[in-house]
Amino acid sequence: MNRKKGDKGFESPRPYKLTHQVVCINNISFQRKSVVGYVELTIFPTVANLNRIKLNSKQCRIYRVRVNDLEAAFIYNDPTLEVCHNESKQRNLNYFSNAYAAAVSAVDPDAGNGELCIKVPSELWKHVDELKVLKVHINFSLDQPEGGLHFVVPNMEGNMAERGAHVFSCGYQNSTRFWFPCVDSYSELCTWKLEYTVDAAMVAVSNGDLVETVYTHDMRKKTFHYMLTIPTAASNISLAIGPFEILVDPYMHEVTHFCLPQLLPLLKHTTSYLHEVFEFYEEILTCRYPYSCFKTVFIDEAYVEVAAYASMSIFSTNLLHSAMIIDETPLTRRCLAQALAQQFFGCFISRMSWSDEWVLKGISGYIYGLWMKKTFGVNEYRHWIKQELDQIVAYELKTGGVLLHPIFGGGKEKDNPASHLHFSIKHPHTLSWEYYTMFQCKAHLVMRLIENRISMEFMLQVFNKLLSLASTASSQKFQSHMWSQMLVSTSGFLKSISNVSGKDIQPLIKQWVDQSGVVKFYGSFAFNRKRNVLELEIKQDYTSPGTQKYVGPLKVTVQELDGSFNHTLQIEENSLKHDIPCHSKSRRNKKKKIPLMNGEEVDMDLSAMDADSPLLWIRIDPDMSVLRKVEFEQSDFMWQYQLRYERDVVAQEEAILALEKFPTPASRLALTDILEQEQCFYRVRMLACFCLAKIANSMVSTWTGPPAMKSLFTRMFCCKTCPNIVKTNNFMNFQSYFLQKTMPVAMALLRDVHNLCPKEVLMFILDLIKYNDNRKNKFSDNYYRAELIDALANSVTPAVSVNNEVRTLDNLNPDVRLILEEITRFLNMEKLLPSYRHTITVSCLKAIRVLQKNGHVPSDPALFKSYAEYGHFIDIRIAALEAVVDYTKVDRSYEELQWLLTMVQNDPVPYIRHKILDMLTKNPPFTKNMESPLCNEALVDQLWKLMNSGTSHDWRLRCGAVDLYFTLFGLSRPSCLPLPELGLVLNLKEKKAVLNPTIIPESIANNPEPVNSTNNHGQSVGFQNTFSNSQEEEEIDMDTVHDSQAFIYHHLNMLERPSTPGKEQSSGEMSMHPVSAAPLSVFSKESNSSKHSDHHHHHHHEHKKKKKKHKHKHKHKHKHDNKEKEKDPFAFSNSPASARSIRSPSLSD
Amino acid sequence: GAKHASTPADNYHLARRRTLQVVVSSLLTEAGFESAEKAAVETLTEMLQSYISEIGRSAKSYCEHTARTQPTLSDIVVTLVEMGFNVETLPAYAKRSQRMVITAPPVTNQPVTPKALTAGQNKPHPSHIPGHFPEFPDPHTYIKTPTYREPVSDYQVLREKAASQRRDVERALTRFMAKTGETQSLFKDDVSTFPLIAARPFTVPYLTALLPSELEMQQMEETDSSEQDDQTDTENLPLHMSTDDSGPEKENASVLQQNTSLSGSRNGEENVIDNPYLRPVKKPKIRRKK
Repeated sequence: MNRKKGDKGFESPRPYKLTHQVVCINNISFQRKSVVGYVELTIFPTVANLNRIKLNSKQCRIYRVRVNDLEAAFIYNDPTLEVCHNESKQRNLNYFSNAYAAAVSAVDPDAGNGELCIKVPSELWKHVDELKVLKVHINFSLDQPEGGLHFVVPNMEGNMAERGAHVFSCGYQNSTRFWFPCVDSYSELCTWKLEYTVDAAMVAVSNGDLVETVYTHDMRKKTFHYMLTIPTAASNISLAIGPFEILVDPYMHEVTHFCLPQLLPLLKHTTSYLHEVFEFYEEILTCRYPYSCFKTVFIDEAYVEVAAYASMSIFSTNLLHSAMIIDETPLTRRCLAQALAQQFFGCFISRMSWSDEWVLKGISGYIYGLWMKKTFGVNEYRHWIKQELDQIVAYELKTGGVLLHPIFGGGKEKDNPASHLHFSIKHPHTLSWEYYTMFQCKAHLVMRLIENRISMEFMLQVFNKLLSLASTASSQKFQSHMWSQMLVSTSGFLKSISNVSGKDIQPLIKQWVDQSGVVKFYGSFAFNRKRNVLELEIKQDYTSPGTQKYVGPLKVTVQELDGSFNHTLQIEENSLKHDIPCHSKSRRNKKKKIPLMNGEEVDMDLSAMDADSPLLWIRIDPDMSVLRKVEFEQSDFMWQYQLRYERDVVAQEEAILALEKFPTPASRLALTDILEQEQCFYRVRMLACFCLAKIANSMVSTWTGPPAMKSLFTRMFCCKTCPNIVKTNNFMNFQSYFLQKTMPVAMALLRDVHNLCPKEVLMFILDLIKYNDNRKNKFSDNYYRAELIDALANSVTPAVSVNNEVRTLDNLNPDVRLILEEITRFLNMEKLLPSYRHTITVSCLKAIRVLQKNGHVPSDPALFKSYAEYGHFIDIRIAALEAVVDYTKVDRSYEELQWLLTMVQNDPVPYIRHKILDMLTKNPPFTKNMESPLCNEALVDQLWKLMNSGTSHDWRLRCGAVDLYFTLFGLSRPSCLPLPELGLVLNLKEKKAVLNPTIIPESIANNPEPVNSTNNHGQSVGFQNTFSNSQEEEEIDMDTVHDSQAFIYHHLNMLERPSTPGKEQSSGEMSMHPVSAAPLSVFSKESNSSKHSDHHHHHHHEHKKKKKKHKHKHKHKHKHDNKEKEKDPFAFSNSPASARSIRSPSLSD
Repeated sequence: GAKHASTPADNYHLARRRTLQVVVSSLLTEAGFESAEKAAVETLTEMLQSYISEIGRSAKSYCEHTARTQPTLSDIVVTLVEMGFNVETLPAYAKRSQRMVITAPPVTNQPVTPKALTAGQNKPHPSHIPGHFPEFPDPHTYIKTPTYREPVSDYQVLREKAASQRRDVERALTRFMAKTGETQSLFKDDVSTFPLIAARPFTVPYLTALLPSELEMQQMEETDSSEQDDQTDTENLPLHMSTDDSGPEKENASVLQQNTSLSGSRNGEENVIDNPYLRPVKKPKIRRKK
């Protein structure tokens, strides 16, 4: 069962091979939100004694299964429906995460498992022994699916087509099992026949070629027949049905676009660019688009903005835009390009296993990056790379690392690759969504590192090789056994690289792919005048979480008076200091031009320099060829020179950020100059605005002249004759458009000596709003106006309040009154003339929340709650929900928290549900070490239930719930719960714990360890930790263990480790042990039946007691099991779920 | 003249006609007739009147032809010549001995044209206009009385005005909407100072969010007319417009037509697009399915 990934190619985890699958959906009802259909899988057994076929299926009601027309018995068991059974009072996340990972493993198709197990009828055994073909026919239906398929049915008059009702498949990673039974793996490829019978006014869009459309006999419906002859994984199958408008791409007739009624003009404009993306990818990959057709579908209530499937992509309808919209255009184009990149790598080329995912995400992300570079220019590309690098670095330092290529199952699992995380990274479905996005980000950055090493040319050759191999394989028959060449693996990819380039990139892979963490450099320098040498000191922090040690070459660029010089330093174990000889011996010559890196020669005012040093500025790793964070110290004038004269936008941005710490007139001048320079990259200029505002605030006492940026803005955007009036809008020049949008927002951050926004600035912004005139503009000004409202919100400072008076109109600050006036008018006008994507409403809601938070307006969530209701545009809802989340935190409102959680459970839009959890996690009402009235047992129960069983239909949502639980309560048992131990006594104030007098003596009697009951919280945490049993040492330290007791427990923990579930999990796949089931079920029954209404502490106490007794027995049992396991890989009678509960004693106690 | 003449103008005309009758009668007497039938006299009178009228009309035409307003002698002469009359015989005829003299018809009350309301003194002709030209009309027909100030053309003021006008309109409009519908308020104690129109969910929220508003559409047309073609397409959208029972074939044909016309227009040389979604839907084959 331990599949080897290696040179030998792909070995299927299943005892059979799928060759073809038919999916036929003959009835789909929008009223009832139901689907009826059947699937037929053609499989070839690969072992003689195949008697059970495991498939994936969730939510589906299965009516009937036939194998070669013979009725077959089947069992349906999905342990992920309810992760932890037996309503144990565990409640610690460690326990849950392990159990959840086990449950997912138990149905993981990549391990040959599945929820649906079909018994091959005995009549066919002989047939099977000859390895002859089997046809598995499954009739199923789907009623009101909560995941996998999403129905959008607007509640209005008319038939479904008129209402714009539609349905589409969605989900994260392999989620096809949610809507039809299949082998939901990216590695099981087969050809497809797809049939959908839909209302005559509807269109069904799916994968492959539309062969024909045929009316039903009553002519009221039509059937769409699709054939997909390229072997494709079930996880890449998708569907969208709706009254779509059809647009054949005018440049490529095999490409068809679909959108919802009335949006055709937008669709035309939005997709008019797509053919250029096609051309680009086909050219760099020197390979034709692999499928014979491509379809884009734009739907409402999308799960994600972009979802790529075989030969079709599903997009959010909100990406559509008209020619008047500036800001959305690049974003949408990026989405289109991303989707198309994934067509090549991700859909056409699939992966062997989850641990190879990084290759696909990396390549698609990388070629998408190349497209960005070509389309938006090198500046934008480098800016983007820097942004992604900063993000991944920040995330890894925060969480402790992202591992691209986790290897499981090898040897002793002491080094669980993700012990620092609160979830398992063994499966895509247990990953936090944020982790997954960061994972993708790291993957493409690493691809770029590989490119740096082997050159882009070789890189593209490798891709081309992968693609041509795959396309040869795809045209072969199944019998050729070539299809596995369409699967990419890490080793195959690396082998390709070494074959093509002849270079050894193993160290690079080891550093960034097989290992998590980023590098943290601290650099400083001194110039030795006598030796004319630059003494550079580079330190590393490799002990903090998320870091790793870097050894190898590191490029340093030094700009001297005589020119720019690259030096490659060798970073080694112990050497911190590096001597770099300088070239410029001379002091500065008068009037000599300074050569830059790019060969340009410029005049500089060198008066700011240190007279003894020829150094202008120094950059460490300028090409970003290490995943790192650099903190470098150089003097302010050097940063200023770097900002003014270094041509690399990344260097300019770094300089801007560094200058925040140097609020001097010289910094001010450098920033202002950059702001004015039109050749400068607009994002740098935008960043300079904010830095200038910060500097101005730091220098407020010495600041002279008008507020920062005001005269600049006036010069650039106001009328020559009347400088107080802004010109009528003309956004033809996008660079200045973005600058015009940003400057007021940055200006509003200015503060005077009283820490208030200067009246002059506020009036200035109000004037911009007042005189805004878009009548002559070719483009919409909605984003500009929205940013002006953001600027108003930025200008708000906390209200001066006397004795906590109640906020009323009468004591409203006059400035705030003006602001409120504008917001009211804007918000009301939006009802009459809505702006694109309601950007203005969104900004208004945010501004109102700012006013509330600063005490100008009474804090009240009612307005936001009304805007958060279903039926508002999604951006509005998110903005409103964000305000409610913030209110919940600031006002510690239990009611609002409940309201939010109810929405998480009930909202029709999956994205909203996900987003609420995400926002609650990012802005939590309390965290684990915090006292909060919100933190109580009911909440714990509620969240536990949510992640345990309430979110089984949506992987992403469940992981979101886990994230929230982690943020609120940490890994161990929530501190607000009554303790199973004496600590309970002190928890009386939480009015949950009723003391059971009988338990006290008992517990003391049974507890050899001293229980120090005066220190409830920290202690209880430590206590739980030890019993949760898979905690690392640091975790315990972190969880504020103060006393010796924890120490003892800790050691106990160490002793117990051999039998930890984590280990067992890794050594064998999820497997079931019938032997151990017996005592366990007794155990759980006992614990279950024992006084359910009774006090929880009692329970736990009992658990603990029991465990003590069972401990040794258990160890033995596990040993037995391991032997047993091999013998009986199909422990059929024992469901995966029960397997997990088997494990529970060692886990739960 | 069966009707009774009543107005002074009619009287005047009757008097003239009577005079003509007298003239005709005397001419007849002169020619030696002793009596004539009434009808004959009438006919001759008619003829005479026509003749004289024609002389007048032609003479007027000639004089106007030469850009004058009053006929001169030469106009009359030319007229008579044109009418075939030998002008040279005229003085002799006028001086014939036996001619009878008829007294001029009594001038009865001259018909008065009602005097138009005069406002002010008519302007005299300036020196360069000859006196025979018509007089200036009454002053009230051309005199203007300015009732507003000089229009402002100052840019700043204009912008100021446009801005405040728009703001006033917007405020009035939103206040009105707020007054007439449900509102929300930021202050519990006051609902009227900053009335917010209540948020109302839509059944299809993305439509209002994504489609440009009518105002913007207008703007777009003004600034860029190339998009116009696209907009008309929205009018006859293929699928969603069809009602339940409209023939599916017809509907499909319209899809086909529309799409081909649409994409064909962009690259004219290739008119036939083979896209499976544009192909007609097939009829079911009888008894094909099991």
